Amino acid sequence: MKWLYGAALMLATILVQVTWAPRLSIAGVFPNLALVAVIALTWTGGVRSGMAWACVAGLMLDLTAPGPLGPHAVALLAGAYLTGFWTRNVDGESLLHPTLAVAASSAAYSVILVAADDTLGLPVPPLGVAMQLLVAASVYNAVLMPVALLLLRRRQHASPAIRASSA
Amino acid sequence: MYGRSQSRSTGLFLILCASMLLLAMLSEQSWAAPARGAAKSALAPFESAMTQVAGDVDRVTAVFGDVATLRAENQRLKAADEALRRQVVELNAAAKENATLRQALDFERSFGHRMVAAQVVGRGPDGFSRTLQIDRGTADGVRPGMIVTTGAGLVGRVREAGPHGSIVQTLGDPQSRVNVFLSKSGLQGTVTGGPSALQLEVGHSLGIAPSSGEWALTSGVGGGYPRGLVVGELASVTPRPSSTTDQALIAWVNDPAAISLVLVITDFVPS
Repeated sequence: MKWLYGAALMLATILVQVTWAPRLSIAGVFPNLALVAVIALTWTGGVRSGMAWACVAGLMLDLTAPGPLGPHAVALLAGAYLTGFWTRNVDGESLLHPTLAVAASSAAYSVILVAADDTLGLPVPPLGVAMQLLVAASVYNAVLMPVALLLLRRRQHASPAIRASSA
Repeated sequence: MYGRSQSRSTGLFLILCASMLLLAMLSEQSWAAPARGAAKSALAPFESAMTQVAGDVDRVTAVFGDVATLRAENQRLKAADEALRRQVVELNAAAKENATLRQALDFERSFGHRMVAAQVVGRGPDGFSRTLQIDRGTADGVRPGMIVTTGAGLVGRVREAGPHGSIVQTLGDPQSRVNVFLSKSGLQGTVTGGPSALQLEVGHSLGIAPSSGEWALTSGVGGGYPRGLVVGELASVTPRPSSTTDQALIAWVNDPAAISLVLVITDFVPS
């Protein structure tokens, strides 16, 4: 039941990402709410929980994107795994570290998504364009991360059930 | 203890990655295409509902300060302006053609196409693929490869089609390519997508150079698109005297963030 509730929230996040978020496009990129949510869940709930949510969110993203099912899930998994290393070694209450983690995860997400598309024979953008998008996406997502984390922590404090479902 | 936990996480990560890559390879197979299309179509009603909610929220927030009235009026004027500008461009382009070419032009192909109207229900999940999701699919006669336009001009091409939804690769996609000609100079070039504006590589001709304000229309070269669809207006030109081509930026007639309704040309088969 808790997982279903979480999955419904994640679906809502994905739907917002593919319907509302493109209106906030700056320099050709818009917020990757799924990535921010997965990194925030990894930061608060641990790497395994984060990777599980990365698969769920990634498959949902794949349903909205051209091409096969899987590349977005792999890219989000990499972000969650990278963040898992980060969480073990730093102060979990700090807002700076998760912000940096989401920036690094955005870069890893972009590289892996492009590499996965290339491996699967799907079209990929030219290197220059990809780099420009990667940097812009990292900055954009990093700016959003503190807000997402504060919202998630507040929600977890208000409802311990959600914390249990993410752990 | 710490090392064991880390290696467990690494193991889980590798297993999940391998599973997702396997899923990607399997779902890419031709025999899996119908199931994949059906799965993608399943999300379309949710996206449509969310788009509806977004529209409603926009309308509610626009009530303050008569913004809604002004916006509606602005949209009406913008639509009228787009239609007039398209007519001017098409008339200019038609005037440019000599009588022989005009006779050869198949007006049935250029302007008499059958179309299916579709609502935009979603957009691509990231900046690497500039796509739109529409609420029409194979059940409505939409097939991969079909051309998508609006009243203002070209939008892109259907990339994948499910039973009740399709994914359209727009001109803004970095992988998009469309051959065009310019309305005044008649020069030909290729438009490619980009993160913020469409890029045009246009060939020189002796004594003729592209200039800002010219319109770019599909040339039909290569058979990928019908001739005469408006793509956009040259916003700026960067001459390259040492090269055989000039570079230009094109202001696309369609704002990808604002497109809500598109037309799928169902009777043009790209060669």
